[in-house]
Parts: sequence; structure tokens; C-alpha cells
Amino acid sequence: MTLPSGTRNYTYAQDMAILRTKTQWVLMAVFLVLLLTAPLYLGNYLLSVANLIGITLIAATGLNILTGYCGQLSVGHAGFIAVGAYTSAVLTNRLELPFLVGLICAGLMAGLVGLIFGIPSIRVKGFYLAITTIAAQFIIIWVINHWSSVTGGFVGIPVPEASIGGFTFRGEASQFYLIFGIVMLVIFFAKNLARTRVGRAFIAIRDNDLAAQVMGINIFYYKLLAFFIGCFLAGIAGSLMAHWIGFMNAEHFSLTESILYIGMIIIGGLGTTLGPIFGVVFIRLLQQVLTVMVVPSLESTFTALPSGFATGVAPMLFGLIIVLFLILEPRGLAHRWSLFKSAYRLWPFSY
Amino acid sequence: MAELLQYLISGLAVGMIYALIALGFVVVWKSSSVANLALGQLVLFSAWFTYGMLVQANFPLWLAFPLVILFSLALGWVIERLALRPLIAQPILSLITITLGVAYFIEGVVTLIWPKSVAALPRFFPTQPIRIGPAVVSQEYVWVAGISLIVFVLLTLFFRYHRMGIAMRATADDQLAVQACGIPVTRIFSRSWMFACLVAAIGGILVSSIGGITYGLVETGLKAFSVVILGGLDSFIGAIIAGPIIGLCENLGGGYLTPIIGWAGVKDIIPFIIIIIVMIIKPYGLFGEVRIERI
Repeated sequence: MTLPSGTRNYTYAQDMAILRTKTQWVLMAVFLVLLLTAPLYLGNYLLSVANLIGITLIAATGLNILTGYCGQLSVGHAGFIAVGAYTSAVLTNRLELPFLVGLICAGLMAGLVGLIFGIPSIRVKGFYLAITTIAAQFIIIWVINHWSSVTGGFVGIPVPEASIGGFTFRGEASQFYLIFGIVMLVIFFAKNLARTRVGRAFIAIRDNDLAAQVMGINIFYYKLLAFFIGCFLAGIAGSLMAHWIGFMNAEHFSLTESILYIGMIIIGGLGTTLGPIFGVVFIRLLQQVLTVMVVPSLESTFTALPSGFATGVAPMLFGLIIVLFLILEPRGLAHRWSLFKSAYRLWPFSY
Repeated sequence: MAELLQYLISGLAVGMIYALIALGFVVVWKSSSVANLALGQLVLFSAWFTYGMLVQANFPLWLAFPLVILFSLALGWVIERLALRPLIAQPILSLITITLGVAYFIEGVVTLIWPKSVAALPRFFPTQPIRIGPAVVSQEYVWVAGISLIVFVLLTLFFRYHRMGIAMRATADDQLAVQACGIPVTRIFSRSWMFACLVAAIGGILVSSIGGITYGLVETGLKAFSVVILGGLDSFIGAIIAGPIIGLCENLGGGYLTPIIGWAGVKDIIPFIIIIIVMIIKPYGLFGEVRIERI
């Protein structure tokens, strides 16, 4: 952890502060103001992209806590998001409970399901866990598709708009504030979780769970806690997604989506708070740029393109990016960013 | 009774295919301890390639099959050389996720080239049903089971007598010793990937000759994981025994549970439930080596 030159810590409070210097405070304030006034200057389309990014960010932060900090690979994250989305949808649509109840219950329900599928993590890791979570993904989606009296089955289920105390979040702009309010809470939580006893225990388990156990860390408790937190956030994201889209069916939660989530946190950088932000923004923006700009223009210029080009090129590209990042920069964009920052601080005397 | 026999035979046949695909996984895992999660996509890709050769290019069988085999070998070589080789001695998390990346890439390629979601291979086997005792069984299942058996025998012979097979087993046993003997380990890795793609292709062709080519082939490949998990990750015998068990569970369970539960398609989920159960009760499978870790 390098400090900007001339910055010294005289108290523990200073040492622990997230924002250390005046410049950082100013930049943060500017960023927040820009973010919160975004609905004023972003069009409806860009706002919807921003909302998608926000929702994905919550889920990816959860996955990052589970995989990046605690080292428990989950290839079924989309399944857990689906649990949250459907819990919220069923509660608010069929039982007509308020949105906030649906949101909280979505998180809890996804967390509980995550706990169940996380139980094998006590004895196994690595590939075994990956397979367990893939199985979890298939089982969850299968149940959703077949329990049609509750979930609407293959047809899907309509979801009412989110509302708190009489105020309905209608339109992209008000949804934006709802989603990004929660995003900020989640990121603040994740940033601080990593610096607490729990976060350090997670990191110890990731680095070597046997050694962590020998040091007296209760890995049963902490692994399941990681699963609960990760899946809780997935559930919250799912609930927001359900209310944002307004209609749920299981097609939003395929295995490829789960793989994409893993890709996002790898591209961003595992085990950093900044990582998921970079990864999610990168992947989602790339997705939009591809589907809205690149593919149509390519299709209009080259008429001989195969008809599967539009749907096939995105997975190809994302797969390629995941592979390239793992080979060339396994620590992700966050690492590049910190390299850039330290180089910038010392410039032009970078040695 | 007739129903039961039918389920038994089709279950055994499908299970053999799963076992075949699973063998490809086990070989890669044993020689290089890389978990190949792209199995499902490899099955899908090779099935579509077969379709491309047989139906779209309209090649005769004697030309198409060698081409498919060559293609799958090349695919395995390319994957190992370009994606896995740079990651030797990296953490297990990277090794798993890179196969996920490869899986994603292959899926993109498949949708790019064959945007149709469903297609049928021409029938290789006679279709008229045959009677075994009281049961009427589609002849295809018997053929598929027979072919799988032949492939098993060939593989066993390969691993027992061929130089490469022996070298692969040796690598699985002790990498350092093999290196000391002058066997190029990286070449073994690449051969094991070629082998995995080859059996995935055979499995893919067999499955899709019965059920047609659908996106469900990915699931078929993933079901092979339940075979691997049940049999134990590093056991050939385990895969060969667990395959038919999974196939039987799937078909019997699908046949008899569906009326009880009332949800169609119980069949597709049974292998995944078995994975969860095995994970909780006996995570290293029936024949897998229990790893004892030391700090």
C-alpha cells in the first residue's frame, strides 16, 4: 500500500481511513455528484444500461466476496440470483406484500439456498465445488421451470413495480436512484467487510484453508458465512432485477450468465473491492456496444455474414477475453489500475 | 415388466455414453490435474461438426467420420496449446475458470456457425424395434451400447499396451518420475486433451444419433460430471462403473418418479441431484483417492 508522497498517518483513524487525502475526498465528491445527477443528462437508454450495471454490480460484489475473498468458486451464481428474483416476484405478485419485504426475503431466501448448496464446501474445494454449484444452478432453474403453480413455469411471472411507502419507482430515473442507493450501501459494506475480522478470516481460508483451520479459524462457520453473504447479495440483485424488468422467466439465468459473472470478477480482479466495478462496467458496456453498435454496423456492411453472427459473436468474444485475462493479467484490471496510480504518483521519476 | 426392461436397456446405453465422455475428463484430470468444465460444449461442438460434415457438406460416411475424428483431435491440441499450456503451475482457480472461458468461446462459435437450435443427424443404425423378452426396445440403444463397449475395450488396450497409453498412466502416477525418465510431460498433457476431445466427439455423435442435436447436449456433457463425481475423479474403473449407474438412475427415476411427482422431466435433474448427494455423503466418490492434505 503506497501512500501519496507527503501523506503521513499520525493516528490510527487516519491509518484506517478509506479516503486519505483532500484530493481523494474531492474526487469522491465529484464522482458522487456526477453519479447522482446522472438522470439529468443521461438519456433513457443509457440510464437503463446504468441500471443493469448497478444490478450486476451487486451480484458480482457478492460473488467476489464468495470467490475472490473466500476462495469458494461458485459457477451457479445466476441460479442464486434467480432464487432472489423469484422470491421477490412471488411475494409481491401472488401475496401482494410490499416491495421492501420482498427485497429482504429475496436476499434471505437466496442466502438460505446458498447455505444448502454450500454445505459440501466444508469437505471439498476447487473443482468439486464448481461442480456442486453447477448442479445447484441446474436444480434451481429446473425447479423454477416446473413449479409452475408458484413461479409461472416456462411462461414466467409478471412483477409489479417497486414501491416504498406509497412512492412507486416508475421509470428508469427513479429506479436508478433505488438501485444505486443499494449499490453504494453494498460497496461500502464489501469494502469494510474485507478489513474486518471476518474478511481476514475469508482471506486466510482462501490462501490455505487447512492452515487457517490450524490457526483457529472456524472454517465451517466462515465458509458458510461467505456463501450466505455472497448469495444474499445475489438475492438482492435478483429482486431488483425482477422489479426493474417487470417480468421474470428463467431465461435470464442461464449457465452462461453464471460463467459471465465469474468472467467479470476475473477481468476486474479477484479479491479487491474495485475489481467487480471495473469488470462489470467493462463487460456490460462491451455487451451493449457489441449488440447496439458493432454488430448492426458490421451486418449492414458485410451482407455475407452468417445468420448466427449477432448471437454468436458476443459469447465468443467474452470467452476469448476471459482466457486472455487469465493468461496475460490474472490479477485483473484493478491491478493495472493500481500500477497506473503508483506510476502516476511518482511520475516522471518512476524508479 | 416390459417397461422396466426398456428403462434398464436404454439407461445402460445412455450410461455407457456418459461413461465414455467421463473418461475424457478423467484422463485430463489424472495427467495434468486440470478440471475440464468445457466437456458439455465439446460434445455440442463435435456433434454440430458431424452435422456439418454429413448433412451440410454431404460427405459420405467413410469420409465424414475420419474428418470428425481429425477435427476433434485438432481441437484438443489447440485448446491445450493455446489456453492450458500458458497456465501450467497456476492456481487451481485459474485452471478451472479458463476451461469455463473456453466453454463460453466454443458456445459462441457454435451459435455463430450453426444458429439453428435443433437439427437431426441421419440415422446410422437401423431403427426398427427389437424384442428382448417382453420388452420392445429401440434397436439404436443396443447399437450405441455395443459401440461404447467396443470403444471401452479399445481404450483399455490402448492404455495397457500402447507406448503413449503407458506414458499417460505413468504421468498420472508420478509426474516428476516421468520427467526424470525423459518423457515430455507437456506432450502427454496435449495428448490427454486430444483424447478427451475424441471421446467427447464419439459420445456426442452417439447421443445425437438418437436424440438429435439440441442445446441439451451441453447438459449431456455436464451429466458426465455426475459420473466422474460418483466414480471418483481419478478412477477409470470408477467412471466405467458409475456411468451405467447414473444412466439407470436417470431412466428408472425418470420413468417411475414422474407420475409420482407430476413434474415432467425429472429425468434431466436426477444426475445433478446425485452430484449433490455424493458431495455431501462421500465427496471423493466410490473409487476416488481420498486426498490427505498437509500444510
